Amino acid sequence: MLHGYGGHILRVDLTSEQIRREKTDPDYMLNVIGGRGLNSTRLYEELERDCDPLTPENMLLIGVGPLTGTLLSASAFMTISGKSPLTGILGDSAAGGFFGAELKLAGYDQVVMTGRCEKPCYLYIADDHVEIREASHLWGKDIWQTTAAIRKDLNDNAVQVAAIGPAGENLVKYATVACNNSRMCGRTGMGCLFGSKHLKAVAVRGRGRLTVADTLGYLDLCRELDQKIMTHPEYKKRNALGSTLLMKALNGIGILPTDHFQQGLCGYVDRVSGETLAEKFKVKNKSCFNCNLHCSRYYLSGEVEAEGPEFETLCSYTSRIGNNDLEFGLKMNAFLNRMGLDSLSSGETIGWAMECVQRGLLTRDDFDGLDFTWGNCQTVEKLLGMIIRREGIGNLFAEGTRSLARHFGKGTGEYAFHVKGLDMICGDPRGIKAFGLTYAIASRGGDHLRAEPFFELTERYDEAEKRWGIREIADRLSDNGKAILVEHTERQALLTDCLTMCKNIGLSMDMLDFDFASRLLTAGTGLKFTPEKLDDALKGVIDKDRKMNIDFGVTADQDTLPRRFTHEPLKEGASKGQVVPVGRMVKQYYKAKGWNDQGVPQE
Amino acid sequence: MITLELAKCSGCSRCEVNCSFFHSGKIGRSGARIKVVKIEDIGIDYPVVCQQCQERYCTKCPEKAIEVGALGQVIVSPTLCTACGACELMCPIGAIELYEEIPLVCDLCGGDPRCVKACTLDAIHDEADVSGAVSLKDFKKSSRGLSPEGKRLSYAMTLSRELRDSWVAERRG
Repeated sequence: MLHGYGGHILRVDLTSEQIRREKTDPDYMLNVIGGRGLNSTRLYEELERDCDPLTPENMLLIGVGPLTGTLLSASAFMTISGKSPLTGILGDSAAGGFFGAELKLAGYDQVVMTGRCEKPCYLYIADDHVEIREASHLWGKDIWQTTAAIRKDLNDNAVQVAAIGPAGENLVKYATVACNNSRMCGRTGMGCLFGSKHLKAVAVRGRGRLTVADTLGYLDLCRELDQKIMTHPEYKKRNALGSTLLMKALNGIGILPTDHFQQGLCGYVDRVSGETLAEKFKVKNKSCFNCNLHCSRYYLSGEVEAEGPEFETLCSYTSRIGNNDLEFGLKMNAFLNRMGLDSLSSGETIGWAMECVQRGLLTRDDFDGLDFTWGNCQTVEKLLGMIIRREGIGNLFAEGTRSLARHFGKGTGEYAFHVKGLDMICGDPRGIKAFGLTYAIASRGGDHLRAEPFFELTERYDEAEKRWGIREIADRLSDNGKAILVEHTERQALLTDCLTMCKNIGLSMDMLDFDFASRLLTAGTGLKFTPEKLDDALKGVIDKDRKMNIDFGVTADQDTLPRRFTHEPLKEGASKGQVVPVGRMVKQYYKAKGWNDQGVPQE
Repeated sequence: MITLELAKCSGCSRCEVNCSFFHSGKIGRSGARIKVVKIEDIGIDYPVVCQQCQERYCTKCPEKAIEVGALGQVIVSPTLCTACGACELMCPIGAIELYEEIPLVCDLCGGDPRCVKACTLDAIHDEADVSGAVSLKDFKKSSRGLSPEGKRLSYAMTLSRELRDSWVAERRG
């Protein structure tokens, strides 16, 4: 008997409405683990590489980890994967909440969707019962309305729903999928992929129960992790503020994106910080399934109430676009969550436009008369509506920053801060060199979560020497040894994603190492996940991702950062004078990976 | 009896997970005797569990399979129970529900409730001597015809109003 795992792979062809349940193969899982590793491998094996992401040939996968839904703290995530409509390369995005555990309880490790429904529909999974249901009455509704309407339709408030909003329906390239109203699969446009398949939502109800192989051994390991989380030195702060603690923390080290990365210091940070949010608007903690950190928050502001925001949204809609009005940021968080639009990518298009106007490269006339001065909230609100409806200039913005800058030309591309088409996250890489390398090489584009090399921020010099023999790895401003760090944490990050566990806990709080994970997986599933076996699986998946991306057209010269971060030193603050020597770091990274000098994995 | 400080609950469902695991070695909401209702549009997370009510609706079991224990907890006799579902039907708040033909209801884990231990936010307590303090009469009529999930939702909606009002007063004056 297969423990931990749901036991089935669900295949749904939306065109022919053919539904098939396959048994999960334990030998196969030993090589891919689950979650993102499972999704990536499925794409590697089955996806037509040259398909247009918006055609029925593209695949849409939802994967969960082998221990998701069990006692393991923070293993609540699910990963959605496919060829990205935004970037044209590997796309995936994970979210917490309660959907992942529910899918598992229904008996599934992965849902594989292909084709396209003729009419709008949603997929309903209730244990063995799987059905494609019409969703014409839901088309046009926002994510919160859709979630509520499906629960009402099915007369069951415990149904978990992953849905898109109008942005996904209208094929905005960076549309999101959300479960529990506010838990976003935000990046690489998985909501657009849903929309292209006329799939409004996936609803799931699992009435099963999960078993683990070594019940008492597994319980002990989970309790050990619980204790480690509860006694972590940052527990209190993370519990109170969640990721919004980064507003002040990043400002303190001079890398808080301000006015679109022109500065790393924000003069009004106290007005828009996580602390201020907690003091003025938070009413309670929120949590993902079975987590003991409870780092999310529910807030009421003057106009709206919602869960969140996370740091990336908060920063994208405050300092990154020159806005010092926290309440506006909170309003946009709720709005983006309802409409299903990625805050990072939408925020980058806005920041780009504001900087292009500041520099005189573009004017109001280029933007349907919209006034893109820093922090102009009216413009932001109006533009977002236009993007979601693909109206006027919004139609161009809906394609993403890379495409926008190509359209306008005139040197505006220099200010389009993306890597491989994916807009960069909020964290100026000039003061965090390993993160800079991560953005450059990440297999889904400009993003930190592929490696989350948080270790470089910890100043644990002795620990760095012990682990890797290089003290500077704990120094965020040094690039020495960072390729080795990133090579290591990239595997650790993938491991976290394979377990569909939270990165804040697995990586930032440094809770998940290979040895502990191998014991957890073995006790949980009964399969022999030795540390060596895990390492082989992880390296295999990273190589497959790379090969797939090469098939999609990625070349070594795209493993880089926008010019600002490699050539313009930061002007003030604790990272003053810094740039990222990305060229040599990438070369060292290829070497650490055993890839050739063009970044091609060798057999 | 299990009592709740609603304002502290984050909805993590650790109570559910540990309840199910303690009782069966398996994990799943269906196997839990405490179930968290999530009302996402208003930010409420409400773990619903047996309130050891004055009325003791579930004890009107046609097979006399249900009795009340020394801690006020509900005890279901596995030999007398025929899984007829009368208890599930009678309970106004969905705190007793059949799963795989067994009525699941809070038994206080024999005096050491695992949900209380599992809650790291101190939102769930085990209070002695409050058995019979709660009347569920007001929920009886309105719960007619609802599924256990529907009953829990309606109960949680009603009992969270006060907290919601306090949030609005605090944050919007």
